[in-house]
Amino acid sequence: MSLTEGFEPKIIAFCCNWCTYTGADLAGLNRMKYPENVHVARVPCSGRVNPQFILRAFQKGCDGVMVCGCHPGDCHYSTGNYFTRRRFMLMKRMLEYNGIDPGRFHARWISGSEAAKFRDTVAEVSERLRKLGPNTKYREALREGADAGKGGAGI
Amino acid sequence: MSRIGVFVCHCGTNIASVVDPDRLTPAAREMPGVVYAADYRYMCSEPGQQMIKDSISEHGIDRIVIASCSPRMHETTFRKMLKGTSINPYMLEIANIREQCSWVHADKGRATEKAIGLVRMAVSKVSKNEPLYAQSIPITKRALVIGGGIAGIQAALDIADAGHEVVLLEREPSIGGKMAMLDKTFPTLDCSACISTPKMVDVGAHPNIRLMTYCEVESVSGYIGSFEVAIRQKARYVNHDICTGCGLCETKCPVKVDSEFNLGLSKRPAIYKLFPQAVPSKPVIDSESCRMLKDGKCGICAKLCPLGCIDYKDEARTVTESFGAIIMATGYQLVDWAAMYGEYGGGRYRDIISGLQFERTVNAAGPTEGHILRPSDGREPETVVIVKCVGSRDPKKGKSYCSRACCMYAAKHAHQILEKLPGSRVFIFYIDVRTPGKGYEEFYDQTRMDGAVYVRGRISKIYEEDGGLVCQGEDSLLGSQVRVRADMVILETAMEPSQGIEGLTSMLGAARDANNWIQEAHPKLRPVETQVGGVFLAGTCQGPKDIPDTVSQASAAAAKVIGLLNKSEMETSPMISAVERDKCSGCGACVGICPYKAITLQEIDDRLGAKRIKREVASVNSGLCQGCGACTAACRTGALDLLGFRNGQILEEVDALCL
Amino acid sequence: MSDRQEKMRQSAEKLLRDGEVGYVIGWGATRFCDRTTPVFIDSPEGAASLVWNEHAVNSLAKYLLDDKYPDKKIGLFARGCESRAVNRMIKDNQVKRESLYLIGVPCDGKSSDRCRLCRERNPLVYDVLLWEPEANAAPADRFERVRGVEAMSPDERYRYWGGVYDRCIRCYACRNACPVCSCRECYVDMGRTGFQGKQHSRSDNQIFGVTRAFHVGDRCIECGECERACPMGLPIMGQTQKMLKEINELSGEYECGLDADSDSFLGRFDLDDKDEFM
Repeated sequence: MSLTEGFEPKIIAFCCNWCTYTGADLAGLNRMKYPENVHVARVPCSGRVNPQFILRAFQKGCDGVMVCGCHPGDCHYSTGNYFTRRRFMLMKRMLEYNGIDPGRFHARWISGSEAAKFRDTVAEVSERLRKLGPNTKYREALREGADAGKGGAGI
Repeated sequence: MSRIGVFVCHCGTNIASVVDPDRLTPAAREMPGVVYAADYRYMCSEPGQQMIKDSISEHGIDRIVIASCSPRMHETTFRKMLKGTSINPYMLEIANIREQCSWVHADKGRATEKAIGLVRMAVSKVSKNEPLYAQSIPITKRALVIGGGIAGIQAALDIADAGHEVVLLEREPSIGGKMAMLDKTFPTLDCSACISTPKMVDVGAHPNIRLMTYCEVESVSGYIGSFEVAIRQKARYVNHDICTGCGLCETKCPVKVDSEFNLGLSKRPAIYKLFPQAVPSKPVIDSESCRMLKDGKCGICAKLCPLGCIDYKDEARTVTESFGAIIMATGYQLVDWAAMYGEYGGGRYRDIISGLQFERTVNAAGPTEGHILRPSDGREPETVVIVKCVGSRDPKKGKSYCSRACCMYAAKHAHQILEKLPGSRVFIFYIDVRTPGKGYEEFYDQTRMDGAVYVRGRISKIYEEDGGLVCQGEDSLLGSQVRVRADMVILETAMEPSQGIEGLTSMLGAARDANNWIQEAHPKLRPVETQVGGVFLAGTCQGPKDIPDTVSQASAAAAKVIGLLNKSEMETSPMISAVERDKCSGCGACVGICPYKAITLQEIDDRLGAKRIKREVASVNSGLCQGCGACTAACRTGALDLLGFRNGQILEEVDALCL
Repeated sequence: MSDRQEKMRQSAEKLLRDGEVGYVIGWGATRFCDRTTPVFIDSPEGAASLVWNEHAVNSLAKYLLDDKYPDKKIGLFARGCESRAVNRMIKDNQVKRESLYLIGVPCDGKSSDRCRLCRERNPLVYDVLLWEPEANAAPADRFERVRGVEAMSPDERYRYWGGVYDRCIRCYACRNACPVCSCRECYVDMGRTGFQGKQHSRSDNQIFGVTRAFHVGDRCIECGECERACPMGLPIMGQTQKMLKEINELSGEYECGLDADSDSFLGRFDLDDKDEFM
């Protein structure tokens, strides 16, 4: 319990420029409030998101990762998010299969008008991650501390 | 080592009241690669921009991060600003600390922490930025309009009037399309031919328009500004260069086949003009029915022609032409109701006709010279049943969509019958009556005043009895079965995309929707564009429409084309995919993913040790690529990367957040 | 057995004598009686060193990727697994069918654990078939091992795979043996892009494992070469098999390399794909 007390998760959200990023901007325009722990990385299309980015984020210390794009059928590039859907349906299952808690990875369709959905999704994911505590799985051995220099087994 | 400048905007108090610039700016100054950091009230203002420009030269900055509002707001502004400096406009990243930070967070401490994180991400990303250069594509000042119906005619005339060359391509022997077949147009009841044929003549006479009738698109390559289109001119067997269109040849032709224009309600010879006002007003020979071409016996038309225009040895030719833009105006066809509705006799009853056949019947130039007569016995009908939504709004048997024009022309048909046949009765079976349009509701009201009886319900069965047609259905308002004995039935059938649309759209790389209509780039904001740059949409090829909507869309598409052709060259975004050929194994995983067909496999010369080999690698067409990056995520080796959003840049962002 | 071996030798000898192929890839004896080794026969006389027995285990198809632009055709003995690999390589534009001469040799079962999932003993594509097709043996339950891991709790699964990858020595034998690993340069060998580190640590090893599964999983022909080649004996097919199991569940019966035309799962999409991201 002490581990999670006062813990604020670090979340990266890969958001497509045309829908979710716009939706997040709209949440700002409407002065909606959501937790500070989400950081948006802008990509042109959710189809740009390489599943390896997600692995990297966990390795480097993100507690949660989100991939957000236009709803199927609304992709600015017409079909990008259909590939996103397939890729991340598989990646999500691979992560779970490898022992990553399902609460740590979320893919969502959030349109440019769904500011409230963006806010609610971020709030929900943060809350879930607060309960889960810091992610230790896939974490690279920290440079400082006991493991430094060993280059061995990691955590 | 990069020399990064960070500029923090207060946005008045929009940012500064929540995110503390006095913490953020010094924190930025400590980030790796940052040589200068400053903050200011309004970075986007003239003095703000000047400050950035001055700092760039003063501190030898080679790339910048601006922490401000959303990049969707001012990225372009700041890129333009950089054009006047020593650094490339793409050596810029924006940290969104307003919309995605100060406006959405209340806790100043934590918001400032987050802003520092966002700036760190941007600083890391920009450290990997590279100068990018927009390419300019030359624009061929020439447009191709595919389809010579009213949409194509209008678009061609508008573009030609603006001073650009247009090729208007039509696969039939004449332009005119469906509108030329109509009798009168709703709601004004002006004669369709009277308003469309002058436009056809204008097209034929316009110095900027080249008409290519009886032609089809064989292949398309290239991209916006420079399309290469192979056009197949079908064999006409008549030399149009010398033919005057006198029509003598048609008079003695021994062949009689169903007239396409009159939809089988009359016959035409093998050498024919599509209709009397055809443009060009010159005949072609239909090779499938001509005796001379089939059996080598006949040749009457050649003997009759005073100018010796007939050439039985004519062959199809393919020409390749260049265009800067293409307008799709391929229109619609009516569904084959007979194949879909066995309960209406499946085509066995001659007195069940389609709405378009009725148009020909009621038209003064039609097979009955405008007399409304039953096809079976040539008698005037006393009772006519009009069935709407045949094939439309019927997801089980037909199309789920509404064909939009039928409510109005059904009312027009009723009006024409009641007017031409005093004492007749008209029953219209409908699901809903939809009349959104200027004067439409009034027209519908008038039709009811004229005496048309509207019955709400579908006709479930039509069968023949004692020389009449019994239409059985439900009156859903009364909740009872009704039966009407009619002398003639008109089915207002659904529109569907013209035959051949699949091939044409796939040649162009344009998408189709679930019903095969051509997909517009954006349903609201880019309704006349396809997602393929330089390919525009006019008329019903995009979805069912009536004439005013078709013409409006045609003019809108023409305006887009004129805007494009007015430029001599256009800049393309440099933020597109790029291939590192050394790494590419040519596996082609990217090819099928690209929605724009911008990636092809290209053979290159290479060496393998001492051996010279030819191998295939992915190649990105910068005119087609729109920079979505979906291909890059499919590339396992990372040979494909998206400029401006390289794998390395995004990974830097990830790492920076986790520091 | 020796009859078949003789047929193989004769076939290779004739191909080489007629100049039909530049060389033939087959199996040869080693100094261990229970091992064979892939051999590359380039003279008619050499054909006599070909062997065919239950120890002819290695899948030969991978070697085609080492000679993608041959001057003459390559002769390849093809069983079910080789032929599926060839189909996949053709689809991935790595080899050309016309530069291969496939000598079909229906497989009579080999003494290798990698064959336990074999569903196709007979070559699906060949130029000549040396003997009658074999009846396919009932394969082991395709996803049994995957289900075993799935049954664990998330933490147990993490410990299980962590334990596996702690033993991984990052020798990349799995990649080198895999017939669908066909990149000119593997992402993991690149310093600059930096998708992941090359450190020999649990974290980096795990990420290599999942990435490898993701890169090949939707094209995996289930030949088992990755596991056979692994010097540490790690159950790494459990990762690619998981990909296949999920693809099967998402899009229906899915097997790779049965023909040379089918797109892989991640290379296409269906408008009606399941959507759980709403």
